[in-house]
Amino acid sequence: MSAFRNLLACEFRVLARDRMAIFFTFLFPLVFILVFGFLMGDIGDVSRARMGLFTSSDLDRESLDAAIAAAGTMEIVPFSARSEIEDAVTGRDVDFGLVWDGTRLDFLYDAARVQENVAFQQVADGIVTDFDLRRQGAEAPIRIDAIDVGKTSSASWFSLVLPGILAFSVLSAGLNAVSGHVTAMKERRILDRLVVTPMRPVLLLLAIASLRLVIVYVSTLITLFVGVGLFGLRYDVSWLRYTISILCGTIGTMGLGTIIALLVRRPSSASNIAHAASMLMLFLAGVYFPVEFMPGFLRGLSVAMPLTHMANALRYAMGVIDMSETEFWAINVSLLGVAGILLPILARYVVRPMRR
Amino acid sequence: MTDEVLLRVFDLVKHYGDVRAVDGISFDVLVASVFTLLGPNGAGKTTTLEILEGIREPDGGEIGIFGERVKRITRPIKQRIGVLLQDGGFEPYLKVHEILRLFASFFDRPLVVEDVLRHVALVDKAGALVRTLSGGQMQRLALGAALINDPELIFLDEPTTGLDPQARRNMWSVVTDLRESGKTIILTTHYMEEAEALSDSVCILDHGTIIAEGTPRELTQAFGEETMVEFRMDDLADARLGGLDACCREYRVDGGSVTVETEDLPATMEGLFAWSRRENVPLDSLIVRQPNLEDVFLSLTGRRLRE
Amino acid sequence: MIGVLRIAFTHVVTAIRERVTLFWFLVFPVFLLVLLALIFGNIGEEREIRFEVGLVNRDTSGSTPVDFAAVVEETFEGLAEPADEGTPSLFTLYRPSGATDVGAFLEAELTALRRGRRAAVIVIPEGFGAAVLGTMSSGAGGSSELTVYMTTSDVASQMATEIIGQVLSAIDREILVRGGRFDPEMAIDSRAVWLGTTGEETPYVDFVLPGIVLMGFFVNGLFGVPGAILFNRDRRVLRRYWVTPLSVPRYLAGFSIGHLALCALQFALLYVLGRYALGASVSFASAPACLLLVLSAVTFLAFGFLIASLAKTANAGMATANILNMPMMFLSGLFFPIAGLPLFLRLIVYANPLSYLAQGLRSTLGVETSAFSWPLILGVPLGWIALSILVASMRLKWDVER
Repeated sequence: MSAFRNLLACEFRVLARDRMAIFFTFLFPLVFILVFGFLMGDIGDVSRARMGLFTSSDLDRESLDAAIAAAGTMEIVPFSARSEIEDAVTGRDVDFGLVWDGTRLDFLYDAARVQENVAFQQVADGIVTDFDLRRQGAEAPIRIDAIDVGKTSSASWFSLVLPGILAFSVLSAGLNAVSGHVTAMKERRILDRLVVTPMRPVLLLLAIASLRLVIVYVSTLITLFVGVGLFGLRYDVSWLRYTISILCGTIGTMGLGTIIALLVRRPSSASNIAHAASMLMLFLAGVYFPVEFMPGFLRGLSVAMPLTHMANALRYAMGVIDMSETEFWAINVSLLGVAGILLPILARYVVRPMRR
Repeated sequence: MTDEVLLRVFDLVKHYGDVRAVDGISFDVLVASVFTLLGPNGAGKTTTLEILEGIREPDGGEIGIFGERVKRITRPIKQRIGVLLQDGGFEPYLKVHEILRLFASFFDRPLVVEDVLRHVALVDKAGALVRTLSGGQMQRLALGAALINDPELIFLDEPTTGLDPQARRNMWSVVTDLRESGKTIILTTHYMEEAEALSDSVCILDHGTIIAEGTPRELTQAFGEETMVEFRMDDLADARLGGLDACCREYRVDGGSVTVETEDLPATMEGLFAWSRRENVPLDSLIVRQPNLEDVFLSLTGRRLRE
Repeated sequence: MIGVLRIAFTHVVTAIRERVTLFWFLVFPVFLLVLLALIFGNIGEEREIRFEVGLVNRDTSGSTPVDFAAVVEETFEGLAEPADEGTPSLFTLYRPSGATDVGAFLEAELTALRRGRRAAVIVIPEGFGAAVLGTMSSGAGGSSELTVYMTTSDVASQMATEIIGQVLSAIDREILVRGGRFDPEMAIDSRAVWLGTTGEETPYVDFVLPGIVLMGFFVNGLFGVPGAILFNRDRRVLRRYWVTPLSVPRYLAGFSIGHLALCALQFALLYVLGRYALGASVSFASAPACLLLVLSAVTFLAFGFLIASLAKTANAGMATANILNMPMMFLSGLFFPIAGLPLFLRLIVYANPLSYLAQGLRSTLGVETSAFSWPLILGVPLGWIALSILVASMRLKWDVER
């Protein structure tokens, strides 16, 4: 077993000295989290919107105020002139504006805030409906009682994004372990040198896999704690399921990395392809925006992607979404299955001499 | 070969901090000759070359070239020289003819690319990407790039390193052809046979100065009246070699072969045979020869041509 | 001159033949443009979004004169059927069939909701119809509640709930009008006013196209420039040039021309795609827009030189580029609004030349009102160009040590 231990120690040293790998494993997810946490935290969250208000008439003022109050916990900023409120909207001092002149409600939007205006318009629609009814002394006979059956009480879209990012770091690490690390060793003939010794290739792969596993696990934990600490995200983590997801994810994606390594003509292109593939997957796997928003054909593609399921498995393990146990195990067992088929092939790839 | 001087180096100096890499060297290179610079690593040979190729500035001295005297190689001068670098790459995603066209565009009066392709035997590879070329083909491409401007003075920096014997022979004939056509060549090499076969004039550098110069014949003759006796020996136990001291004043051992220097051949041979019988050492592949450039080099610098 | 143009040609040809470069500078921006336009362009339209919604009607007594429960159920039923051939319906409705145990069905639906298979589950409670009738007839007001189970953390579920709310508002209005409680003639007039240069709502693709173009230039400069220079230096390709009469300034000129040609190619491809395939209407044909495009390309070219000069090896250069890539791209307002960021991130936004170029370009195209003034929009990128040239001219090594 000392061969294994030595291989492991060498693998560790090689990785520790490779700044790019360290960056991509540890820093990259952190940077993601930091940047996205601040950027995306507020999207669609109208409760923190600022609405400008300008009324040139006091007609039905009570009803209007009541309708506005009922619309949500927005901050209302009063203005004394129409031009002022318009400047405030275009200058982004307020998110949108409401002008009431006694006969008409004008909602002012900044035309450029394309992504956010949808949410503001919905608030506006609600105000109009409510105002209409109150003015005539009527009340909506049917109201909605929305009951949240989600697992976390105050979950935001970002708390769904974080597990997706963790899944992405597992994917990158697993792909890179083979299409990156092993292929580089092949390209540089290091594998040739090792293979003419009595060393068993399976031990090398085991060393690579164990090291990556530990590192990925640690890095996801760091990212998770930063997310919790900095942004106050709340998770209900089942550590057993979390560990299993990370384990199966890492090994499974190493298997996927093998596919790439086997398909490319030159080992050096493997890491580029793996990188490109993981970036494409990142966008298509519903990490940034929900799969439901994608057009039909892309939705189908998204379902075919391993990252989508890895992200969901992690979300389940972290208590953000619900999933049937069967599905959870099916995902992880499939990942293991992929690895089980492909890693022995990888062992043969390791041994095969470089094609000239 | 004429007596006309194409290049004259006057007291060239280059230092890096306290180290004097090139410590005041002067030499002449005649038109239509092959001038070989030899020297161990760190001798100042590389620096001298770089200065003459125009990619390093000297700290002192002058260079007389193409009839003018300059402090450093200027761009107009570069129009008339060609350089085959020892190591250097080409853009991997360009085709062979695109590389030659690119280099041709740097010069005022380049040759026709197709002619150069023919000259270096790369016509059928003209459309191939650089990354698909073999080592030998790459070297021929580099040579083509060095000759694209029909230079009067050509620098060949270790032109046959890494080539197989056939390719080496081809390069040798290229060099002699170039000389026959009136071009002047400054050559560096680690191969003794190459230096002996090609050079009209040799200059040996060490520690930044010239320690010997002349034709290969002059240099080996200056070595003295020595004869060299060489043989191979498998088991080189020092103890057994110790017995050689009695008969052989100067000998060296390297790589399984022993070389003895002697001025009195008969006496040395007697001593050798006696030792061989006494120690029961077969004198495999015994040869008696004249000193060669390697021997000269070794005795002057203490190091082999090829480290 | 020919040498300069040949170098430019070399740069362009190499980028196209090298598949990796081709991917990042052409394929990836195209992919992103198409994806973002399809997705975010979709939301407002809701054309292709369909929600899986469960509906359980517990009020099947039918005791009241108007079966309000049935009205609600039939309304949603109507929405689950396509309005006309070809258009997809808004909902896919799941309801218990006659014989099923309603309670069990509801449980199953709620489980499906929790697992993300439903966007919402509507439950019309028992006695719903009577309650509504009660509030209508007594005149005392008050509302009856319709339960909608949803998950807040799921954006799709939120949207579905919103839409259900809108549907119910319409039903409410209908009921009130019929009950004489609401006079539609007296309804308030409301309209949306789009402040900005066009006075209309900006289509998302017009918003995102300039952003993707700038992203393309940015990535080209950040990765392509150091990559080409550093790899060529390390592979000693440059060394072969320096032994010829080619000088460093001429090489740089050729390199820069080649780089700008690549940017032009990128722009052309994205523009054609945006305009003819995705329906962008924004026009780059004005002098300020062209000026900003050229300024952007040059800014990132210079920036690339800066990175190349700060790195010792090609790998270090690529690592630096990777580290800078994400923060600079996302903390620039290019894709996400940058309001409400904490101070230390806002500093990055203000230092980032991309922030100014993005706002400048978008405001020139009439898509956005810029928060930055014109002196800043031009000044900050120019400042970066000057800084990059200064540092690079001092630090950039054109040959490796022998």
